[in-house]
Formats: sequence, structure tokens, C-alpha cells
Amino acid sequence: MLSEKVKEEIRGLFKKYRTKRSACMAAMQAVQREVGHLTEEDMREVAEMLGINPVRVHEVGAFYTMYNVQRPVGRYHIQVCTNLSCSLLGAEHIVNVIERRLGIKVGQTTPDNKFTLSTVQCLGSCGTAPMMQINDDYHEDLTEERVVEILDGLE
Amino acid sequence: MGDRETGVVTLKVNGKEITVREGTLILDAAREAGCHIPTFCYQATLSGVGSCRMCLVEIEGQRKLQPSCVTPVMSGMEVKTESESVISARQAMLEFLLSNHALDCPVCDKGGECELQNMVYTYGPRKGRYAEVKIRHHEKDYVLSPVIVKNSNRCVQCMRCVRVCGEVVGRGVLGAIGRGAHQEETSFLRSYLDCDHDGMCIEVCPVGCFMRRPYRYRARPWDLRGSRTVCPYCATGCRMTIEERDGEVVRSIAREGEGFNDKMLCARGRFGYDILNSGGEERLTTPLIKKNGMFEPVSWEKALSIIREQFTKADPRRLGGIASAALTNEELYLFQRLVREVLGSGNIDSTSRWDAATTGAFIFATGITGGGVSIYDCMEAETVFVVGGQVSEENPVTDYIIRYVSDSSRKSVLVASTRAMKLDTSAELSLRHLPGRLGALFNGLVLTLYEDNQERLEGIKEIGVLKGRTVTDLAAECGVSEADLRALCARLESSGSISMVVGTDLLRFREGISGLRLLGDALRALGKVLKILPVLDRCNQRGAWDMGVHPLFGPDYRKVERAGLGCDGMLDQAMDGAMDALYVVGEDVVNMYPDRTFAEEALSRVGFLVVQDVSLTDTARMAHLVLPGAYPGEKEGTFTNQEGRVQHISRLLEPPGQARVDLEIIEAVGSSIVHGFSDGTPQTVFDEIRREVSMYRDAAFSGGSPDGWLVKKSARRLEGFELIEEKKVSLDADPEHPYFLVTGNHIFLSGSLSRRSGILNELVREAVVEISEEAAGELGVIDGQTVSVSGRGFDATYSVRIRKGTPREVVFIAENFEDKAANRFYKRGDVVPRVKITA
Ligand code: SF4
Ligand code: SF4
Ligand code: SF4
Ligand code: FES
Ligand code: FES
Repeated sequence: MLSEKVKEEIRGLFKKYRTKRSACMAAMQAVQREVGHLTEEDMREVAEMLGINPVRVHEVGAFYTMYNVQRPVGRYHIQVCTNLSCSLLGAEHIVNVIERRLGIKVGQTTPDNKFTLSTVQCLGSCGTAPMMQINDDYHEDLTEERVVEILDGLE
Repeated sequence: MGDRETGVVTLKVNGKEITVREGTLILDAAREAGCHIPTFCYQATLSGVGSCRMCLVEIEGQRKLQPSCVTPVMSGMEVKTESESVISARQAMLEFLLSNHALDCPVCDKGGECELQNMVYTYGPRKGRYAEVKIRHHEKDYVLSPVIVKNSNRCVQCMRCVRVCGEVVGRGVLGAIGRGAHQEETSFLRSYLDCDHDGMCIEVCPVGCFMRRPYRYRARPWDLRGSRTVCPYCATGCRMTIEERDGEVVRSIAREGEGFNDKMLCARGRFGYDILNSGGEERLTTPLIKKNGMFEPVSWEKALSIIREQFTKADPRRLGGIASAALTNEELYLFQRLVREVLGSGNIDSTSRWDAATTGAFIFATGITGGGVSIYDCMEAETVFVVGGQVSEENPVTDYIIRYVSDSSRKSVLVASTRAMKLDTSAELSLRHLPGRLGALFNGLVLTLYEDNQERLEGIKEIGVLKGRTVTDLAAECGVSEADLRALCARLESSGSISMVVGTDLLRFREGISGLRLLGDALRALGKVLKILPVLDRCNQRGAWDMGVHPLFGPDYRKVERAGLGCDGMLDQAMDGAMDALYVVGEDVVNMYPDRTFAEEALSRVGFLVVQDVSLTDTARMAHLVLPGAYPGEKEGTFTNQEGRVQHISRLLEPPGQARVDLEIIEAVGSSIVHGFSDGTPQTVFDEIRREVSMYRDAAFSGGSPDGWLVKKSARRLEGFELIEEKKVSLDADPEHPYFLVTGNHIFLSGSLSRRSGILNELVREAVVEISEEAAGELGVIDGQTVSVSGRGFDATYSVRIRKGTPREVVFIAENFEDKAANRFYKRGDVVPRVKITA
């Protein structure tokens, strides 16, 4: 069930677009910001509000890696870019460092539900590769030390 | 660039020079030049996506190959469709597609007619180099609906299914989930579909992903024998081919280029074919005679001699015939000759639902006598005004054509209806008016036009009847806001060309016809190019009228000397015990007449009732004599659809047992009374029609264009279509029964024929009442819940279907459920019965 707050936020979004359905991405983000991921029920409700079939919402969710469709994530979702530029500058090593530090593999969540680790395609920050995104923030020019420091610094 | 002024472009394709319209796609230009380019994702009726890259061509001067299905021609272009690089690109694309394809052709239903198979055979590499593990979306095929089964491992990701579902059907319940090779076209989380079940996704899928469930593992295309026919389920009149194996019809299919509807069919057309197999106990296979209340088989000779005896001894004024508008033109023509010439009676009708004077006025107001109008020509207009019916459900393919043409050409579609409908989403403006208030709506539009253009409309004297009325009170009368009414009018006023798509509500509610005529006159007086497309439900309704199966006019709308009785009048006379004999062919009067009790009572008083049908309908049960007729797939002839398009149907099967083709029966009945009545072959009767009905003078019986043939304007002066006096439909408050009952055809059913289709009945398992969201709220009911609906004199339980956007007070029950027939809610003369709903 979407909270009243999220629904209100989605209704507010409608003013920004010419058609309701155009608010799809922003609406999904609003839902995800609150619960971290999108359930089947969430997609149905968003679709209902937008006046479209839920498959439209799922399409968008399945296309962009930033949406966690039917996939609960920890409080911090770490997305490491492993596309070309980042890989050339050591993305694989960065992934290994995180895996070792958190004791999980790519795709997993720590038992305390704090971290989820994913690898993603280019996040458009090639100039500062290697890089990762944690929730809404970019962390660039990563080194092993920087990564450990960032992870340890998170509440 | 060159030919700007002329709007044409000259280019070369494989060295051959051709000239085409500006904006033409290279693909179409090449096809015009006789060069075939293979495609997967391209489909003429869908938006271009250019995703499969099968259609790549080389353009002189451009380094990269270009997708011809999304690239428009330019003057002076030199296109090569068979160069070395094109051929190798095609091979590479096919190799790429096959790299993740299941390659399970031996067990795939599509084998033998698969576009991928054919393509690889023609253009493909003989070997693939991909050695990695293939992506599999799932192990077992999964069921998506009672009629659809899915295998995603064969997908070529052309997105035709997704596009057709959104752009043509207007449902948008399919999506492309995931990316790249992982992308799967399916429903939301592969869940069971609640959709229109038309199978358009199946028809457009080039491979074996979307499959017909009832056809599964039933046949290979080369095992099938087919015959071209026309769908019998509504007057859209879609062309289709029905195909049988070992005497059993296993599918019906619509193919591109074989009819005006290309691949389009709705659920009824695509899945209702199994009526042809419903032999068994349902099907009548011998004439039956009633003895002591029980039916007994009787020979044809005996049956005919009884008919001759009864028909000849009856007083012609106490005789009559009703023939269903689902018979062929030849049958209907011969039927009216039988009734008029042989029996000497003028009492004849082709419907039991509508009153004869009303249909006469409707025919004239919609311009049916003026010749055929193609729906595609209608769609050329700037504005398309859909009014007086529920096109999306009653005539689904008409809805598809309106949707895809208007969405792709940005036409403005206006809708005015009593209930919400699928077409609303394509409409610029969509109004809900009260049932039985089309007259007020049309008059409101006329008055608004008049306010703005008094001088130009002064000549139309009928506008005088609106003296003293105001737009405000007319808007209030039809339950539309004045602002909306004016907005609708403004849209009409600002368009140079308008097409009106007019449904059968005018007939059901017996009103709005003079309003329609007046509006038409006003728009024409303002210089608008106006076309009207009548939207009819019975497949050959227009043909039935053209053939003169009507008490007020004969073939070619020739006014009859003495008007006979329509169904209404005949039942009245029967009620008075003054009908000696009645011959009913294919019409289920009991289930269709708006007051079932009255119809039953009246029919029971007919001296001698003969019913000819394919199965023992409720009407047939009342007969003294029953004759076994045939389905459309068992006969040859022509149908005329709502556009006035004459299409030939051919015979696939023989009628079972002693059942006979209706034409032969009518001929036999006639000949038993008058020797040499007719030789009764479809071709000779059609020739007679061409001589007698000027609108058909140039029509060809068979052959000719796959799109059929549009009837011409009648060569004679037409008279006798006086406007009827319209009574104002009462919508007075009835606190006991707060809802207005509206009836019509269900999206999966039409008439009584469809009720015999096992597949269609699986799509509608129970009788449904459709109510508004507000009513559901008031009653505290949810979708699927059972409620009881009670009128003044009948009540029954129905499953609830909530329809968003329908006005609070309107509820709908389809006319197709015999056991809970909607016509039981009507008392004779009722137009809008009032009902109460209890949870
Ligand atoms: S049957 Fe029609 S509505 Fe249903 S998924 Fe296929 S195309 Fe869409
Ligand atoms: S399922 Fe069929 S129509 Fe749909 S994308 Fe795949 S191949 Fe194309
Ligand atoms: S029912 Fe009407 S719209 Fe549907 S396939 Fe048949 S003719 Fe076409
Ligand atoms: S490749 Fe990693 S941000 Fe672009
Ligand atoms: S047909 Fe042109 S890209 Fe698919």
C-alpha cells in the first residue's frame, strides 16, 4: 500500500507533465525513496493512479537499473559501475574490495539489512572512473582506501 | 529538394527509377518498384520502431546501411536492396536472432508459416557461430488467457505484439520487460490477462511466441483446407479465412492484404469459429414437427407439404415472415420474394428488436440509400464524431480502425455515449449523455450552430422546431454540461470535413433520428463535407434492408404500395389471434424482442409457426415445425457490411445430416407453392439482385478486389422515408428503481449465434451487469461480486463489472444471455427500463 504521503507527492507530479503517464518515472522514484524497492502491489497502485496498465510501470522498472523491482535492498544500495571506462580503471577490484569488506557477493544484502551490492552499466561519470553510486550520491575517482573509508563512514 | 511543389519524389531502387509520394518509406517505395525487402518489426498499421534491422538497405553516398522501414525517400536517392553488404547484414541479423532462439520448430505451432523460418530459409546463414548458453526465459509454455498461450524463448523482439495491443486494440496490457537479449514481451508479471482476448498479439507475432490456445498442436498449415468468408458476428464484416482439418474447423485467421481489415479480427471473429463444430445435440439435423407438445423428426417432403398446405390456406394479411439479418443477400432477397410474391403478404421484417418506421427513418438519416462509404474514407475527415453506440464493444474492429488511423494521423475524435468506452482514450473530447437523449444532444448542437450562423442556416425550416429552446436547457436535458456541448460544437464548426460514426442507440431508443438529420443538414449548409458511417450489429443488416426485407419498402428501397407489418405489428396481430402463419428464419424473437413475455405469448397464439434455424432456440421451441438451416461457413453467398461493402463468402463444410442451406430451403418452400419459383443457386439469385437492386448493378458475385465492392447510390428517386414522430423517452425518477438499464452487445458475444461458441463462452462465464464506480461505492460492491438486479417484473443475479467513467445512474446488461435475458426487464413500450440493484 502506498502511503498517503507518497500518493500526495505523485498527485503533485501530475502538474508538471502534460499527461499523467509521463509522471511514471518520477512516481516510481517517489515510491522507491520511501520503501527502497517496488513491490507488485506498488506497481499496480502507481499504474492505477497514472491510468495505465501495470505492465507499463514494470517495463520502465525493468529497463532502468535504478529501480529495484520486487527486489528489497538494504538501507544503502551500492551500485558499482562496471562498464568500459570504469573497468579499465579497476572497477572489478573495487567490487572485490566491497565484497570482502561487507562479506557479501554482488546481488546480495548484508544480514543486518544495511547494504546491498549491485553492479550496473555506465552511470555517465566516465571522466571520474572508477565510480559507484550509493543511494542518490555519486562517489568518484575511487581507490581501495576511499571505498573502505566511505563504507565505514555510513551510519 | 526537387519536387516540392508536386509532392512527389523520384529515386532509383536497384537502378530502376520510380516516382513516389513525398514521405514514402524506402521500404514501400522498393516494394512498389517490385523489390522485396524482408522485415520483422515493420507492420504497416503500427508505428515504426526500426528495431530488427532486417530491412537494411544501402543508400549511395551513405556509409552505413539504413533501415528502410523508418527512412523516408529523398529525391535522387539511389537505393540498393541486394548489394553484397546488404545481403551479408541480413545474414548477420538472422544469425544474431537465432543465437538466442529456441529452434524448437518441430514442436512449434508456427512451423510452416513462421516468418523466421521462411526468412532463414531464404536469406539466412546456413550455420551459426554462437556457442554460448542460450537465454531461456522460462521452461514450460505458459497460459496467458483462455485463448492465448505463450513461449518467449522463440521471440525475435519485434515488439509487434506490444504495439498492436496498445495502438490498435487500445488495451496496452503487454509490455517489453527487461533489456537486450533478456527482454521479454509479456503481460504484467506474466499474469493471466484480463483483456479483449482478440488475439491480435497472436496474429501479428511473426514467430511462435503468442499462440492460439484452442489450436495448440492441432495441425500444421499444410494439413489445413480453408475457405474465405466474412465474420458473422457484427456488421463490421471482417474478412477472414476459416480452416478445417478432418472436417473440424480449427481456426479462423485474417491475413494482410486479403480484406479491408488486414489482420484485424476481434475475439468473436478469431475464436467464435467453433460454432461450426458444435454438431452434437445442439445442432438441428432434421426437420422436426411438434406432436402433443413433443418434437418428432419428419422428412423434408412431409415438412414441405405441411408448409404448403398451411401457407396456402392462410389469409395473406394474416401471414408473415421474419428473416434474420445474419442471412446472405441471396437468401434475404429470395425470402422477400417468397413472402411478397408467393404468399402475397407485405408483412416482413429483418429484426425483432426495432420498430419498422424507426429503421426506415434511420436508413434515410444515415444516408444508407446514398451508397457505400468506406470506413477509411471516413477516416480521412478532420474530425470523427462517434455517437449513438458502444463501438468499442459492439464493433471492435471498427474501433481498432478508428483508433489506429486517428492516433497515427492526429485526427480529432469526438465521442458521445451513455457509457464509458475504450475509445475515450483516443478522443479529444468524450461526453456522457443520458440514455434516450440523443435528440436533445443533436438539437443542442444544431442550436449552438444556429446561434453562430443564423443567416446561413435560416433556410433550414426544421430548425423552427427549436424555437423557444435554449442550449442551456437542451444540455441539461441530455445530461451534458453546457460547456462540453459547446466545446463539441466548436470542434465540429472548426472542421472542414466531418465523419459521423452512428450506432444503433437511435434504433434502440427510437429517438434522435430527426435530430441527426437536422444536424446533418445544418453541417452541410455550413459547407462541411459530411460522411456518415452507420455502425450496425447484425452482420448483414444493411444487406437485409437493401434486399427489401422491411415492411415499408422492397428491394432497392422501392416504396411498397401498401405498407405491411413489421415484427411489432405481426406480434400485435398474433396477440389478437389474427396471425394464421408465421415463417421465422434465423431470428430468435423470444430472446431479442424487447418484452420477452409478450413475445412468447404472441408467438404461442400464431396459428402455424415455422422456425428455421441451426439449433433449437427458445423461439424454435415454440414452433409447430422446425427446419434445420446452416451456418455461414456452410453456404455460399454475399454479405453487405455496414459500410455497404459487398463481400463474397464461400463454403467450407456441408451442413450436417439433413440440415440444408437456407437458400435451398427458402427456394424449396417457394417452389412447393409456385412451380419454378427460383432455381436457387447463389450465383443466379445474385444476378437477379443485380438487375433488381440498382445499388448492386455493378457488383461482382465473387472474385474482384479483396476489399469487396461498395454499393452504389440508388439509381431511383427515393421516397417514403418520412420522419417519424419521436416520443420523448421518459426518464422520470423512480426512487424504488434508481438505475437506468441500457442494453446492447457484449464484447465477446453478438446475437444468439455466438452463444453456441464454446470458446467465446469460456471468455464470459457468467452473465454480467456493468455498473459505474459511483454506484459500486453506493452499493458497497466490488468487481466480480454477485448482485441481484430487479426491474418491474423480473429479477436475476449477475456478476458485477465496474466501469470507470460511466455515469452513476447507468447500468448495462448485454442482450446475449438467454437464461437471464435482458429483454425480460422490458415491458412493451419501455425504452429505458428502471432497475434496482441489491448486494
Ligand atoms: S488479446 Fe488483444 S488485448 Fe489481449 S494481450 Fe493480445 S492484443 Fe492485447
Ligand atoms: S512475442 Fe512475437 S510479436 Fe512479440 S516481440 Fe516477440 S516475436 Fe515479436
Ligand atoms: S465481430 Fe465484428 S469486429 Fe469482430 S471480427 Fe467479427 S466482424 Fe470483425
Ligand atoms: S563507464 Fe562507468 S561511469 Fe561510464
Ligand atoms: S523491419 Fe525495419 S528495422 Fe525491422
